[in-house]
Amino acid sequence: MFSELNVPFPSAEEAKIAHGSLSVDREPKRGNVSRELHVKGNILQVRFKAIEVRTVRVSINSFLEHLKLVCETIEQFGPPR
Amino acid sequence: MVIAIGFEGSANKLGIGIIKDGQVLSNPRHTYITPPGQGFLPKDTAKHHRDHALSVLKAALEEANVKPEEIDVICYTKGPGMGAPLVSTALVARTVAQLWKKPIVAVNHCIGHIEMGRLVTGAKNPTVLYVSGGNTQVIAYSDRCYRIFGETIDIAVGNCLDRFARVLKLSNDPSPGYNIEQLAKRGKQYLEMPYVVKGMDVSFSGLLSYIEEKAPKLIESGAYTPEDLCFSLQETVFAMLIEITERAMAHCDSSEVLIVGGVGCNKRLQEMMGIMASERGATLYATDERFCIDNGAMIAQAGWEMYRSGVVTPLEETTCTQRFRTDEVKVTWRG
Repeated sequence: MFSELNVPFPSAEEAKIAHGSLSVDREPKRGNVSRELHVKGNILQVRFKAIEVRTVRVSINSFLEHLKLVCETIEQFGPPR
Repeated sequence: MVIAIGFEGSANKLGIGIIKDGQVLSNPRHTYITPPGQGFLPKDTAKHHRDHALSVLKAALEEANVKPEEIDVICYTKGPGMGAPLVSTALVARTVAQLWKKPIVAVNHCIGHIEMGRLVTGAKNPTVLYVSGGNTQVIAYSDRCYRIFGETIDIAVGNCLDRFARVLKLSNDPSPGYNIEQLAKRGKQYLEMPYVVKGMDVSFSGLLSYIEEKAPKLIESGAYTPEDLCFSLQETVFAMLIEITERAMAHCDSSEVLIVGGVGCNKRLQEMMGIMASERGATLYATDERFCIDNGAMIAQAGWEMYRSGVVTPLEETTCTQRFRTDEVKVTWRG
C-alpha cells in the first residue's frame, strides 16, 4: 500500500532544507517500509510504501515528529521571514 | 580561530556546547530523569531531546555570546548510543547547518570523551579508562588509532550501578550512580561478590544478577544495610577496572592515566585510581561532572580537532549509528 504526504513550506528554500535534514536517515529495516522524499517548489512530497497499514502508520508518526522538530528549528533559528 | 558547536544526545542527556580554540564558551545540558526504579527508554528519551533541543541551543548561543554567523563548524554525535535520541539531536544539527550554511562533522561519542578529557586536564598521551552507563573501555593511543585494550564483554559498569540503584529504588536525580556513591560512603561491612576479570576484559552481568537476587533478602534480614551493599558493589567493580587499567599501563609503559565518562566523576573510583597511579609513579587525570558526564562541548572539541585536520561530513552522510567502535575512527589530528 501507498501513502503520500504533501507538506507546503513558506518558501522553496525552506522545503529544500527540510528535505536535506529528513532524507538522511533510512527507515528501520524491520518495518519493511520504504520512504521517498522529493521537493517540488515549496512542497515537500513524501511517499511511503509498505505491505502492512500498521507499519506505515508507525513510520508516518515518527516522520511527523521529526518534521515538527525541523520546522520549529527553521522558525527559531532561520533568517527572519 | 575556529569556533565549533557540538550537539550531544546519545543517551538521557541533551547537551549543546560551544568551543573556541580550546576555550569552552558555553555548555548547557538538560537531563531526562525518570522516576525511581525506572530506566530511560529510547522513545521517551527522544521526545525529551526534541522538547528541549531548541531551548538548550538558544541558551548555548546566548551564554557564549556568539552569533550563528561566527560559528565555523557544526559537530554532532553519530554514535554509539540509542538510535532514536541520536537521530532527534542530529536533525537539529543538520537543520541549523543548512540554515547557517556551515559544514558538519560527525563525531564518535567515545572520542568526544577522550578529547575533552585531554583538553581539560592537559594530559598528553594517557591510558584512558572510559566508564559510563553505556561503555566500559580501557583505551590507549597508537599509530592514529585509539586502541581498545580491554572492555566489558556484557553490560557497562554504569549500567550495572544504575540497575542496582533501581533495585534499591534510589532516586535518578541527579543520577543513580551519584546516589549510590553517597550511600557507599556510609557502608561499613563488605559483602564478597563475583569478581570477573577475563584477561584484559571485564564482565558485570553475573555480578549484577547475584546482587539483584541477594540484596532484598540481605536487607530484610538486617544482615547488610543498603549502604553496605552500595559500598561492596563499588569496591568490587572499581577494583576490576583498576586491575585492567593497570595492566594496560604496564603494557604501554604509560605514565599518565585519564578517567572519562559519567562514572568517572565518582570520587572513590578516582581515589582508587590515584593510589594505583602513585604506586606506579604515574599521574592521574580526572575531570568533574561538567565534563565527565555527557555534554555538548566534548563533541565540539573532538569535532574541532577533526575539522582542523581536514575532516568534513557531507550532509547526505550525516547518519547515526547505534554501534560505532572507538577504534573505527582514524585519528587524523594526532601525530
